[in-house]
Amino acid sequence: MIDIRKVSYSYDNKVSALKNINIKVQEGEAVALVGVNGSGKSTLMKLINGLISPTSGKFIFDGEEINSKKLHDEKFSKAFHKKIGFVFQNSEAQLFCSNVYDEIAFGPRQMGMNEEEVEKRVEDTLKLLKIEELRNRQPYHLSGGEKKKVAIAAVVVLNPDVYIFDEPMNGLDPKTKRFLREFMIAINNAGKTILCSTHDFEYVKGVFKRAIVFSYDHTIIRDGDYEEIMGDTEFLYENNII
Amino acid sequence: MPEWLFKKDNYIPEKDSVNFINKSILSILNILTRFKLQSNAKADKLGVNDLIKLISTLVLIIFVSLSKNFTYILIADIFLLMLINFLSIDEIKYVLKVSFVMAAITLIILLPSIFLGYGNNALMITLKVFATVGFVNILSYVTKWNDLLGALKVFKVPDMFIFVLDITIKYIIVLGEFSLNLAYALKLRSVGKSISKSTSLSGIVGTMFIKSKELSEEMYGAMECRGFTGEYRVYKKFKFKLADYICIIVIAAFILAYFYLDRL
Amino acid sequence: MHIPDNYLSPSTCAVMGAVMVPIWTRAVKKVKAEMTKKKMPLMGIGAALSFLTMMFNIPLPGGTSGHAVGGTLLAILLGPEAACISITIALLIQALLFGDGGILAFAANSFNMAFLMPFVGFYIYKFLKKSFKSRKGENISAFIASYIGINAAALFAAIEFGLQPLLFKDAFGMPLYSPYPLSITIPSMLLPHLLIAGVVEGIITVGVLSFIKKVSPEIIYEGSSKKMRPIYALLIALICLSPLGLLATGTAFGEWSAEEIAAVTLGGKALGFIPKGMENGFSLSPLMHNYSVKGLSGSLGYILSAVAGASILLIVFRIVASMRKDIKN
Repeated sequence: MIDIRKVSYSYDNKVSALKNINIKVQEGEAVALVGVNGSGKSTLMKLINGLISPTSGKFIFDGEEINSKKLHDEKFSKAFHKKIGFVFQNSEAQLFCSNVYDEIAFGPRQMGMNEEEVEKRVEDTLKLLKIEELRNRQPYHLSGGEKKKVAIAAVVVLNPDVYIFDEPMNGLDPKTKRFLREFMIAINNAGKTILCSTHDFEYVKGVFKRAIVFSYDHTIIRDGDYEEIMGDTEFLYENNII
Repeated sequence: MPEWLFKKDNYIPEKDSVNFINKSILSILNILTRFKLQSNAKADKLGVNDLIKLISTLVLIIFVSLSKNFTYILIADIFLLMLINFLSIDEIKYVLKVSFVMAAITLIILLPSIFLGYGNNALMITLKVFATVGFVNILSYVTKWNDLLGALKVFKVPDMFIFVLDITIKYIIVLGEFSLNLAYALKLRSVGKSISKSTSLSGIVGTMFIKSKELSEEMYGAMECRGFTGEYRVYKKFKFKLADYICIIVIAAFILAYFYLDRL
Repeated sequence: MHIPDNYLSPSTCAVMGAVMVPIWTRAVKKVKAEMTKKKMPLMGIGAALSFLTMMFNIPLPGGTSGHAVGGTLLAILLGPEAACISITIALLIQALLFGDGGILAFAANSFNMAFLMPFVGFYIYKFLKKSFKSRKGENISAFIASYIGINAAALFAAIEFGLQPLLFKDAFGMPLYSPYPLSITIPSMLLPHLLIAGVVEGIITVGVLSFIKKVSPEIIYEGSSKKMRPIYALLIALICLSPLGLLATGTAFGEWSAEEIAAVTLGGKALGFIPKGMENGFSLSPLMHNYSVKGLSGSLGYILSAVAGASILLIVFRIVASMRKDIKN
């Protein structure tokens, strides 16, 4: 489903962020992206979401190559973005509507659904994430955990096939972290693909089957079974992961 | 470890004023508080929808401003005082305070003109200011601001403008809190004579601007990910209830009173 | 220099509204065409920035403080059209949500602060930058441009005030709205801005610009390759021509009565800066009291503002002329 071939990316053609990345992800996988800060995880996620285009190499999704030229076509862009959901590290930037209901309704409305369908979806999503009482609140006045839930709701409502989480556990209280963990397991069981970068290994036990490890110099140094890699303490220590 | 860390410093700061930081902090705090207050607004105490509230306020302001008749303006002021009673005690205090302050300032500004013989005019403007400022403040206290701005759509304000308005409010809060932190940091580090205060202030405003740029790009990315391709549609439905019709009748009476008192 | 309600007649407000509508439409069109979609949220942020900048207290000698508007600054950073929209929005929020007063006067305030200030400031900056090539030269250009920008805005605000008693009187010849004639409003608005507010604005503009240039220079607006359309130039020229005629009808100096002189000095205290409805006592009125025109006779104030007005006109004409030349080439 996700096919990344020999992809490199540099900011302004000067600062390298990704070097020769090769990854294939099948539908239904649960993959953890692991590595120090600055190793390229966030950049890779932006690339998969179509926010940036590779400087060299190809990104192929569902058999179609994805680049900025193709994304200029509105229809293609909308169809693509519906299939991939991105939960930002910083919920602040992700929430831009004036109340939670509109925030969640934004995606379906952009997709062109009529108001009744939109209402149903939004209500269902509010219930799923247990944030019904936040319906009329303004997103920027919510607590960190509430903001994160709203951000996730805004993504879930579009029913993407792939979920991408960028350091989702950052700044959350333990209860919300546990909730997030259960949520990720549940949607993976429902057949969705998840990619997630995290430092917080404590709270993600049992979520991932595969791990991809990034190194200082923006390449991939290991790609394999999650439990196996997490058990190799020496390796993790060497690469500044624990 | 360097040895000065092991000793205690003997520091006596020079006299300097960091007043301006405090004042800046205060004014930012004031604004942020206003935003938080209105978001908790148990709005709709009057039960009137936002569009009618907006239109009524505009009508009231326009006709008070047009009027040349003292009686009419006095009626407006009395109506204002009646309306104020619908607010909570704290809100009443705020609204009255602002109205009185603005009226007093107006009087002061117009004081010289009284010496020139324009006393009537000065009194009239002062009373008008009391009324119009009061009405606008009541509006801002009984409505959720985002809803109010959404009501502007009826005036053919393009969707893009309303989008920018929504974002502005959000960012006043985000940037306000950010700059507040910067100001606090500045204050905490002002342990002596700050030679270039304008430099530090420029630094704050400059950092705010750069941060804004980053925020806006991130936000646009977030919107793109949810299917945004350039049009922003505002979805507002206004339901009309009994209270709305009563309001319309009252406003209509007000307009008629203008023509009766002013044109006769 | 925010104009509150009830000082301008509703018809003045309506006229300003009619003037602003095409300006706003033009700005929106230009921004849509020029800015990538990525930059659209930036306008809301620019508005928030403009709003917050007006809240910062800048310390001034003498222990008091003042406020800047940042109109020219925003124009240099974002481009004049985007600055226009941003400042308009900041003004809207101040008037409507903060109950500042100035709802009917919204178009007039927008004209002064969202149109004149950014556009005049921006084009003067560009013009001067070409003449002073050095790094320091850029700072000087920015200072002069923002200084002139804010004074242009103040001048027009003064004209809008001053025209009221001329045009709107009741049956007894008494003024209905702002009662002060041009001979009072122009000096009393211009002097504080020429002496203090302009300097404050200049310092902040230069300060922030140099900070940003040091830290991330690539974000400054480069300007479109097209030159200003002739229509814009004509519009500005026409608007600028009118004060010349009005200044001429003002009271000739020398014919001042004792009351009028008293009014100027008192008016200088009050009309110099109109505090916004945030009930902060940190407005410029105490400042004006310290720096006020005590002892400065009315005629000198009049001369000063006439000189200021003439200089501004001269500069604007020269810019227009040079742009015309560029278009022809």
